[in-house]
Amino acid sequence: MSERSASYANAVAAVARAEGNLDMVSDELFRVARAIEHSDELRMTLADRQIPAARRQQIVEDLLGGQASDTTTAMVSMIVASGRSADIAGIAQHTVELNAKDRGRSVAEVRAAVALTQDQTQRLVSALSAATGHQVDVKVIVDPSVMGGVIATIGDEVIDGSVRHRLSQLRDSM
Amino acid sequence: MIRRLLAAASLVLAAVVFNASVAGAVGETVGSCIFEELEEASFAGIDGEGLDAVKNLKTAYKNEAEGAEDIKKDFESDLEGCLDAPNPILPETTEIIWGGGAFVILLVLMRWKLFPVVRNLMEQRTQRIQDSIDEADKTMTEAAEVKASYEAELADAKTEAARILDTAREQAGVVRADLQAKAEADIAEMRERAALDVEASKRQAIADLQSEVAEIALGAAEAVLGRTLENPEVQHQLIDDYIARVGANQQD
Repeated sequence: MSERSASYANAVAAVARAEGNLDMVSDELFRVARAIEHSDELRMTLADRQIPAARRQQIVEDLLGGQASDTTTAMVSMIVASGRSADIAGIAQHTVELNAKDRGRSVAEVRAAVALTQDQTQRLVSALSAATGHQVDVKVIVDPSVMGGVIATIGDEVIDGSVRHRLSQLRDSM
Repeated sequence: MIRRLLAAASLVLAAVVFNASVAGAVGETVGSCIFEELEEASFAGIDGEGLDAVKNLKTAYKNEAEGAEDIKKDFESDLEGCLDAPNPILPETTEIIWGGGAFVILLVLMRWKLFPVVRNLMEQRTQRIQDSIDEADKTMTEAAEVKASYEAELADAKTEAARILDTAREQAGVVRADLQAKAEADIAEMRERAALDVEASKRQAIADLQSEVAEIALGAAEAVLGRTLENPEVQHQLIDDYIARVGANQQD
């Protein structure tokens, strides 16, 4: 993560703390980042400097209006207007980590081919917390390339139980 | 020098004597001698003088007068004496004196003025010739030295050329041997590399075949898995299995 993304994340976290909704803002920002990441058209539109900043902010507000908090919408709008939409994934990741750190927890980025149920999420939080020895917040990313199973990344540690990984191991062994 | 002068004077005198001609002997001739004898003729017992005396003698002789025959013989003898003319070669004494004096004067003048000049010219010419000869000798000596030097250099050059040729032959031999050895080494290396390439190609073909087989098997497995994983229950079962494994590892 670049130093610039960390600075933007610190700014977002400071505003969210001031508003008292860092937990919600970090979660919404994470999901917005995932949405932009999965939409090439949206990503290119928000990064296009030929489009006036006001127009790009308007697009953000149209997309997030009513579906995210005002703070989240304002922060995303600010990031897009600053021409840093390409860094929004890193900013969101760092914001989530700052939120977890505020609460004495770690962030586990979980990638799965399908969305986890609430029960599965709770059990996964418990299992990962027990495995790492400290409390974790799970951020689920639906990634069809995983094919099946789960890939959990906590800091530098990766626990890969995906079908893709097993196929890769099988390919290597063959 | 005196000997030279005497020799020159003798030469001139001899030339005068031997080159003298009858024409050159001016003075009494045979005719004038006879004329004088006739003019001055006078005989004892004969009347008259000169030609008259001669005519009277002739008449007396014809008349066989006494003593006429003897007088006639004496007169004839006197006339014959005219035939003994002076030496036509020997010049007149005065001519010899004047000629000799002029010669001496000329000789003295020449000795005084001309000879030194001629001698100086001769000496200068002799010196020039000697200088030329010396210069020629010197030039010849230098030429001989240069020639000897050139010949020595030529000999050295020939020797050097022969040495270079020998060295070049030796180096060519060494280079040829090196090239031959290198070519043989290259051939051996190429053969070894070709054998390795063949072996590598063989291994690669086997690996490619295995990979192809694996890909086919994996493709089949993925196809089966894909159809299986389309079932949400299977997906959630896999997630549950993952959660169970993570929890089981903690328990271990």
